[in-house]
Amino acid sequence: MKRRKFLKATGAVVSLPILLNGFRLSAMPRRSIFNAISDESDRVLVLIQMNGGNDGLNAILPLDQYDRLANVRSNILIPENEILGITDTVGLHPALAGVRSLFDDARLNILQSVGYPNQNRSHFRSTDIWTSGSPAEESWTTGWMGRFFQGGHPSFPENYPNEEYPHPFAITMGSVVSETCQGTAANFSLTLNDPFSLTPLTEGAAGELSDTPYGQELSFLRTTIAQTNAYADSIQEAAEGGNNTVDYPNGNRLAEQLKNVALLISGGLQTKVYVVSIGGFDTHANQVVEGNTASGEHAELLSQISTAMAAFQADLQQLGLEERVVSLTFSEFGRQIRSNDSLGTDHGSAAPMMVFGKCVNPGILGDNPEIPEQVDNQEGVPMQFDFRDVYGSILMDWFEVPEEEVQNLLYPEFQYLPILEPCTPTKAREANAFEQEIEVNAFPNPFRDWANIRFRTNGEWVKLSIYNGLGSEILVLTNRKLPAGEHEIRFEAHGLPAGNYYLRLQLDGRQKTKSLVKL
Amino acid sequence: MNRRATLATLLGRGREKPQAPLLPIVNSGLEPYSGPWAYEQAAHLLRRSMFAPTYTQIKAAAGQGLEATLELLFSELPQPEPPLNYYYQDDPNVPVGATWIDAPYSASANFAPYRNQSLRAWAMLQLFQEGVSVREKLTLFWHNHFAVSNINDAKFMYRHIALLRSNAWGNFRDLVKAVTIDPAMLRFLNGNQNTGNAPNENYARELLELFTIGKGPLAGPGDYTNYTEEDISAMARVLTGWRDIGFNTINPDPEVSSVFLSNRHDNGSKQLSHRFDDIIINNMGQDEYAHLIDIIFQKAEVARFICRKLYRWFIYYHIDDNAEQNVIGQMAQVLIDNDFEIRPALMALLRSEHFFDMLNVGPMIKNPLDFIVSSVKTFEVPLPPELPRLYNTMQRFFSSSILQQMEYFNPPSVAGWKAFYQEPLYYRTWINATTLPIRMLITDAMAGPGFVVNGFRVQIDPLSFVATLENPFDPNAVVEEFSRILFPQPITDGQKAVLKDILIPGLPDYEWTVEYSDYLASPDNAALAEAVASKLRQLLQAMLSMPEFYLS
Repeated sequence: MKRRKFLKATGAVVSLPILLNGFRLSAMPRRSIFNAISDESDRVLVLIQMNGGNDGLNAILPLDQYDRLANVRSNILIPENEILGITDTVGLHPALAGVRSLFDDARLNILQSVGYPNQNRSHFRSTDIWTSGSPAEESWTTGWMGRFFQGGHPSFPENYPNEEYPHPFAITMGSVVSETCQGTAANFSLTLNDPFSLTPLTEGAAGELSDTPYGQELSFLRTTIAQTNAYADSIQEAAEGGNNTVDYPNGNRLAEQLKNVALLISGGLQTKVYVVSIGGFDTHANQVVEGNTASGEHAELLSQISTAMAAFQADLQQLGLEERVVSLTFSEFGRQIRSNDSLGTDHGSAAPMMVFGKCVNPGILGDNPEIPEQVDNQEGVPMQFDFRDVYGSILMDWFEVPEEEVQNLLYPEFQYLPILEPCTPTKAREANAFEQEIEVNAFPNPFRDWANIRFRTNGEWVKLSIYNGLGSEILVLTNRKLPAGEHEIRFEAHGLPAGNYYLRLQLDGRQKTKSLVKL
Repeated sequence: MNRRATLATLLGRGREKPQAPLLPIVNSGLEPYSGPWAYEQAAHLLRRSMFAPTYTQIKAAAGQGLEATLELLFSELPQPEPPLNYYYQDDPNVPVGATWIDAPYSASANFAPYRNQSLRAWAMLQLFQEGVSVREKLTLFWHNHFAVSNINDAKFMYRHIALLRSNAWGNFRDLVKAVTIDPAMLRFLNGNQNTGNAPNENYARELLELFTIGKGPLAGPGDYTNYTEEDISAMARVLTGWRDIGFNTINPDPEVSSVFLSNRHDNGSKQLSHRFDDIIINNMGQDEYAHLIDIIFQKAEVARFICRKLYRWFIYYHIDDNAEQNVIGQMAQVLIDNDFEIRPALMALLRSEHFFDMLNVGPMIKNPLDFIVSSVKTFEVPLPPELPRLYNTMQRFFSSSILQQMEYFNPPSVAGWKAFYQEPLYYRTWINATTLPIRMLITDAMAGPGFVVNGFRVQIDPLSFVATLENPFDPNAVVEEFSRILFPQPITDGQKAVLKDILIPGLPDYEWTVEYSDYLASPDNAALAEAVASKLRQLLQAMLSMPEFYLS
């Protein structure tokens, strides 16, 4: 194909390490790594929402922390010899065999410990934060993809669909629209269960609309009815023109949704974003079967994701669509490090994300979470990556949104992460092989009233902050550009309760967390 | 740190919240309504406090006056007849026609399917048999509030809903206490697995966040203004030691109930945060949970929190500054003054100037259960009077409610249905490309051929319905009066003209008068009856598919 040839010719130009070698990024506005390769208009993003708060520590296991996990979650921990190792230090739940194959085939990027400062442990509030892309302290009523669409289509839904945009911008598989796609005046996603049975709706005689709450709700109803009819034809046409090339697993709700996604893309639907979901991750109890910890409710859910994703990627490959689709998992939070007595885990903080596709940077970004020797009550996994950096990097690379615009859509401190890569994978690399290791040390550690934090920089923007075990950012020690070289900053902890803390050092796109213990 | 501010100014758009469109402001508060009382006001009150009033009920209320109608809506009613075995032949303890609510399960046969079906059909039946009462609307309000789901024992769920119904407008604090140790709730949020050894936080967190005080803005690490993460941890310990009894039991003896086991309780003292005045709770054994709830209810925010939820249930989702100050604040005070009795506070809301403000008439998108019941009960559609056909009919409606995303006994999450909490969509959550066709399916059926249950056809009888109108002879009057019955606000003359044209396409008005009079003169003439009925069905199908009918 033309595109592949072109890609080869420009391969050297678009390789990205230059972005990681310590240049202050705003000094050199970054462009999408894809924009020389293909038209962004045919790229698709699939968002896989795992509702309930996924126990990341039981999905992607830090093998080098196994003994410490055994101290505090032995009743649910998978036997060491059943874990599927993917690197020397990282293993997968045995139910994730399909995910391991995708990792081996360089179709997977794992981001460790993704969260946000000041973790909120309410399902609803935290889901709002993840779908809106807001800071924890602010409540935004638009979704992060909704704002992206709104930028190019400020008047939506007035006069949509139209000749230029005949297809829905986004589709939520299911019966409730996703908040991710909420725009200022309307939601950009259309709900869809069965692409083959779309009945036309009666559009009655419309009277005038009064400028009252009643008039507004009436207007919303009329617009939704009209749009449903207007989009129905294009969806049905795509469903009839598309096909699937593999068997998807039966009795798997996620697989059914992904099957329809592949069908619609192959049928030519120009929809950019599909939201699929799988619920049941709120495993306060019976996360595992007693005495058989590799099975149980969580294992069942992971198995559904694994088999569904394996089938979906295989389908895309055979349909020749692999270079057009990237899929991304997210969940409102991870779970606490300690298990409870009911073979379950309570609401926690950060958790890993998985990004699937041929165009990912294959491998693992970030370090294993560091499990302290003494795990505090209610302690969660501290964040390493901010989820808004994940979203923003995908907006930049996949949808060619300029960096300044990403800062505007998400947050000014946005940091680019190398999650995607031009679509020429060879083999998964070693963990962190593409990152320059961050040198940071704290001493004394454990400490009583203060600790000195020493680190080396290349002259980039530096943010150094302290988190507690609940995922709250309790102190920002520095947040500015520092000259290249070695630095030492004192963390005054006088008056803080004893227990576990984490320093998080962010140097442009690189970040590291390290455990600190106050006596 | 002015990076953020500077960038925001430079780049302007994007992250700022959408501007709410400027709308006329509702200035009214909780003071008693003093305007006229007529059909429109009676219709608004009954539509909001019931699933669907009939035309007859609205006209009666208009004649009785506001206070008498309110008294009627809040009159004590006997508990409804319990759910019945309506078809299953093989339960030795429960013959067909008897109830199963206290009957054991069996080791050799699976009774769960028939009991679950019975429970669902029965729940739907309560909506159709609500009477002129706010009780069913409040029972569903509490079901949405506590949101228990996925308890795979119909006896547990029956008991839970019965608890909500018997406390529908009772004491909020007592209800929270009862629900805290209700067997279904103990299972739903893992209270039955919450032990001193390793506490399970699930219930404690939702008790604060969703059931009583609500979450405020993030004020500091782990501090949600009204409570902190420490409080969740301490309260989980207070709540340890409770278990449910009788889950799916085949033993005929134990009733479904709860028990306190002191060896599973954390006997230590529990320290609450400054948000609860640093109170220390010492061991009180089985009375400790109630003591904790008394402590939570000392906070005035509890009253405001539940009043906001009642407001969103009965008035509108958007709570502006005026509503917060002049309605929520005052209603919360009524609630506190009455020791958390719901009845006086809700009555104050439903008799207020604010409730009857024209701007609050009509902007509520009917939830799926409102929608289903109003497409049937409004027209006094005859239902089969006996088992099993009555329950079978209810099953049909229940299936439609599932497809419309509101399944009784199965709220989608512990926060309840999204329509009542999720910004910015709220009620609009109900309406989308998949649910709209399901709504039109049911109204097309009811105004058209209906559906048949073992030989009984469930459908609107347009001829008996049109006979209840003041002037069924004039096509303009028919359209006008149907509109008053079906829509919350008047429609335009243009819309009326289109509708009349469906009734008498391209014909002069007197043709309807002639046809209808001919039919009345010989009501047994099937051809004449069908000619009139089919025109009325087309009119009703068109009116029920108008978005105006989706609003209340």
